[in-house]
Amino acid sequence: MIFALDFFLRRMAQGLVIIVLVAMLIFTLLRVVPGDPVRTMLGPMASAEVAEQTAQKMGLRDPIPVQFAKYVGQVVTGDFGRSFVRSAQGASTGGSRGGATFDASNRAPVMGLILTAVPYSLLLAGLALGISLLISLPIGIAAGLKSGKWPDRLALYLSSIFVSLPNIWLALVLIFLVSVKGGLLPAIGYQNWTYAILPAFVLAIELSPVFIRSASVAVSSNMLEPYVAAGQIRGLSRARMILVHVLRNAMIPLLNVLGIQAIGLLLGSLFVIEYAFNYPGVGLLMINAVFQRDFPVIQAIAILACTLLVLVNILVDFAATNIDRRLQY
Amino acid sequence: MTGELASTASTAEVRAQRSLSATMFTNAWKTTEFRIGFFIFFGLIVLSIAGPSLLGVSPTKFSVAQKFMPPVGFGGDWSHILGTDQMGRDLFARSLIGLRNALIIGVTSVVGMFVVGSAIGMIAGYVGGWIELLLMRITDAQMAIPVIILAITILGLSRPTPVTIICVLILAGWPAYARTARSVMLSERRKEYVRAAKILGASNIRILLVHIAPNILPPIAFVAVLDVARMMIIEAILGFIGIGIQPPTPTFGTIIADGTKYLMNAWWITTVPGLLLTISLCGINLMGGALERARNKLLQGVS
Repeated sequence: MIFALDFFLRRMAQGLVIIVLVAMLIFTLLRVVPGDPVRTMLGPMASAEVAEQTAQKMGLRDPIPVQFAKYVGQVVTGDFGRSFVRSAQGASTGGSRGGATFDASNRAPVMGLILTAVPYSLLLAGLALGISLLISLPIGIAAGLKSGKWPDRLALYLSSIFVSLPNIWLALVLIFLVSVKGGLLPAIGYQNWTYAILPAFVLAIELSPVFIRSASVAVSSNMLEPYVAAGQIRGLSRARMILVHVLRNAMIPLLNVLGIQAIGLLLGSLFVIEYAFNYPGVGLLMINAVFQRDFPVIQAIAILACTLLVLVNILVDFAATNIDRRLQY
Repeated sequence: MTGELASTASTAEVRAQRSLSATMFTNAWKTTEFRIGFFIFFGLIVLSIAGPSLLGVSPTKFSVAQKFMPPVGFGGDWSHILGTDQMGRDLFARSLIGLRNALIIGVTSVVGMFVVGSAIGMIAGYVGGWIELLLMRITDAQMAIPVIILAITILGLSRPTPVTIICVLILAGWPAYARTARSVMLSERRKEYVRAAKILGASNIRILLVHIAPNILPPIAFVAVLDVARMMIIEAILGFIGIGIQPPTPTFGTIIADGTKYLMNAWWITTVPGLLLTISLCGINLMGGALERARNKLLQGVS
């Protein structure tokens, strides 16, 4: 218990430092990049004075450290600010309303925008993980059991092909073959959960090589352990040995991979795939925000994504040290 | 005199290490997948250098009369072997230029992240103390930002040029190399030859560059081959979103994105560059995978 508490306090403190560093990096980046967000908010018709007034009212002309301090103060209370572009009604206004009527309070709160998008992304990510495990575990386990034989070669060549398929291109090929030509599954946008299957499949293919490899390595190294032979000598069948003991032990490194590599990979690819399928998750929100120079949305999503990654890493390390006390932090 | 001694000591080490790298390479070469990958990769390099001029067609010349020509075998003719796009530009020539750009960006950025990352990791591992702590915290922070998110943010908000794209990829990729180089350095700095060089009065920079770097970098470079493929995919993704190298320069991403509008009646516009990209990635991945496995096998066997 004390071990766990000590572990979490230490790692949380480290994680917090990392997140603050990331937040500073993104925040500074957004402010040194060329292009004035006030222009996007007010549109080309607004006069320079009005633009300047609005910018000052919103605190965009303060020195960057001052802006950052204010921002951190807001974020701590759970407020990520309001979108520059989207109105509270959900439509993107894009500066068509003229400068004089601009009012920050009718813009959508960033947290609300993200919270509406998160469930879609979670559905997609969960489905992708599920499909990926379904594809890769049988292949990986077979490869591990028959190390050096044909299932091993098959797994090798399959993962080489999977890893070489560019996800955007695979997405288009599947949209064309399955959705447009075959009419089997819907693809663009979102109306019900079937719209998540095709993008999830693309993500699953991208994730599979990682799982195949770690499953096969874990199983094959466990098969070489003395306990496998010992169990069989004591009269346990080979099948029982594999099903009950080897697979359970092999799950530990898999959990590790699932956390660190898969979540990291998924987090990046989710953005691209959501864009390719016009799927209304966090990734599409982010990419649209970048094109519209919607700074509050960009920085909130970037910070939250990093926080998620840091948290997952801590949990995975905790799970690993709990299972095997030799691993210390 | 002292310097001479130190360098003889290290040449012996270097020779041992060179043969280790050479063994890894020959072991990898013996595998079928390495050879397949190697021939695909070199065939494509030759094709991307010589191809566009051999084809005798311009990759950027418009010809409205010849738009949407299908590839040979699907109703097209030999003037445009793999068909044309919505402006009548030759798809094969465009894809080959795209391949050339992807290779240049992939290789340059990986070399860049290898140099930057290894340098930072080696310094951190060698110097130790608060410098190491600071460098490693920065590395952790950088690693917590997914590559795609970083690239979209920077490139989407600034003007993407080949140089900025390479810089962003280096920025996103160096931490992994820094971590590896540091962890190898931690065990390397305690070895005999490093202490010998120190006692003989070699400067820190000399020890790092002349003695340690040739020992620890080649195995890391072997794994870097796989990163070239990853960077090429990211380059294609950036082009697809519209924040890669800007038109009229053809890249895989922009051609594929162009083709999405004509998926129904001209499927070949996305298929040709996509297939070419997939084949080249297969080549690099087969090669890199074989090198990585050869390295792992040898390192496990040695230690």
